[in-house]
Amino acid sequence: MKETETAPEPRGLTRSKALDDHAPDDRRALDSAVVITHEDIDRAHDRERVSETRARRGLRPRLRLFWLLIGPGMLVMLGENDGPSMVSYAATGARFGIGFFIPFIALTFLMACVVQEMTVRLGAATHRGHAELIFDRFGPFWGWFSMVDLMVGNFLTLVTEFIAIRAGLGFFGVRPAVAVLGALLVLSVALMTHRYWTWERIILGAAMFNLAFVPVALMTHPHWPAVGRAMVTWKPLPGGLTQETVLILLAVIGATVTPWMLFFQQSAIADKGLTTRDIRMGRADTMLGAALATVAALATMLATAPLFTHHMSAANFEAAEFAQALQPFVGRWGAALFAFGIFEAGMVAAITISTSSAYAFGEVARRPHSLNLPFKQGRAFYLVLLIEAAAAAGLVLIPGIPLVYIVLLVNVIAVLAMPPALLFLYMLVNDREIMGALVSPTWANVLALAVVVILIGAGLLFGISVIAPNALALVGGR
Amino acid sequence: MEKPFESAIGPDAEVSREEFTSVMTALEPDQIVSTKDHQHCPRRRLTRTEMIVFWALRIYLVFMVGVVVYQIWTGVR
Repeated sequence: MKETETAPEPRGLTRSKALDDHAPDDRRALDSAVVITHEDIDRAHDRERVSETRARRGLRPRLRLFWLLIGPGMLVMLGENDGPSMVSYAATGARFGIGFFIPFIALTFLMACVVQEMTVRLGAATHRGHAELIFDRFGPFWGWFSMVDLMVGNFLTLVTEFIAIRAGLGFFGVRPAVAVLGALLVLSVALMTHRYWTWERIILGAAMFNLAFVPVALMTHPHWPAVGRAMVTWKPLPGGLTQETVLILLAVIGATVTPWMLFFQQSAIADKGLTTRDIRMGRADTMLGAALATVAALATMLATAPLFTHHMSAANFEAAEFAQALQPFVGRWGAALFAFGIFEAGMVAAITISTSSAYAFGEVARRPHSLNLPFKQGRAFYLVLLIEAAAAAGLVLIPGIPLVYIVLLVNVIAVLAMPPALLFLYMLVNDREIMGALVSPTWANVLALAVVVILIGAGLLFGISVIAPNALALVGGR
Repeated sequence: MEKPFESAIGPDAEVSREEFTSVMTALEPDQIVSTKDHQHCPRRRLTRTEMIVFWALRIYLVFMVGVVVYQIWTGVR
């Protein structure tokens, strides 16, 4: 990357005494720029383990290397299986059955893979977060624009995560204030590790509980031949294109492809210290995350499919009625598992989404931004994270707030905000000056542009369904 | 001039030789925080077409947010 300017020496940094022991030439070169920080030391420890493991041969070292390098992709994919997403899947299964949506959900996760793979390359090649690159490459005007998009979208999504936490724990009789404050406490405790690696492993462990929906789906005894047929035949949208089905379509797309995912994964890759040698593992991490998230999403839909005839919708979400309605089909334990899954989805997403906001703020405001920082040194980073989460949590507790509308529309807003965010990503990942030989190949560009066209098309369809519902007939609806 | 990073480690802290060596060998040069602070990606000049696409998508977003607000308003009513 080109050097464009020399900033004054960062205040309060300590130059290593080891510099004094270097040869004069080396020392002059190092002296001019290198200042070691706490963040560098932690990241170097992680990278040493990766280098040592990579140097060894055999299956076990390969598996260990994968273990060391997975994280951002899994977290972003399982994190996106969040409160509103699981509600969208549940509402979809309950309202429309499985015929159209099983293959559709699989397709949306393929779209997410296409998009997130670009952030893996971008993060590993530049070692910088997404917001920082937009700010540097396109200037402060577009940098702040994308930052505001992200912050607004993240805040609204965070509100829905706390709604999910409240609803999930509400099933167990936990009072809303206790549930929300408890979640804030968990979020704060996870940050106290002040170590990216530890934080990542804790959240990764928690994210695995997203698969709690799988046993619930199995308890409903799905008709597997019908599931298989749905996968290969892709039945038409039940009821055709209507205002309601368009909203559900957008909610399902927004459940898998959203702007915070771009910002989070790229920043996490930079914070973890991945390099161009790790891109293959980074891709595998993303694919594995997408596969697990697809399984959890499909399981949620299958679990609620028995409610198909009961006309449940997201409107029933606030009191965790999905779990209650499922009880006759899956028993008390199954319903409890479902409610726990909703809580977990909200909890993990609240942590990853607020972290993506904090990363972006730090990158744009040029403040230290790493989970390796002690609180005192990363005060702005941690405060943005905690304040955003606390504000969202507080909003959920205000009586009379139309929570159902927020849940429904958050995924829709995510889809609408995605094309501008994707344009920045597309341009950055094709920028030879920062990517060198790692620019996107033609096939990747074709896929990325196809995703943009699908998202804009879905957004316009939503616009038509709201402004002129009768015009849906022109595109095959009614 | 870009604003530099603020304090990342206490002024009285010291870095041992082992830590310094570890950082210099394990990290790529532009992974080191202070190096990142000194080096920024140069700003690129947007072409007219790129500007048009940027603004078109911005207008699209603002318009669609208006549609969402309208839907909330009609829904609440």
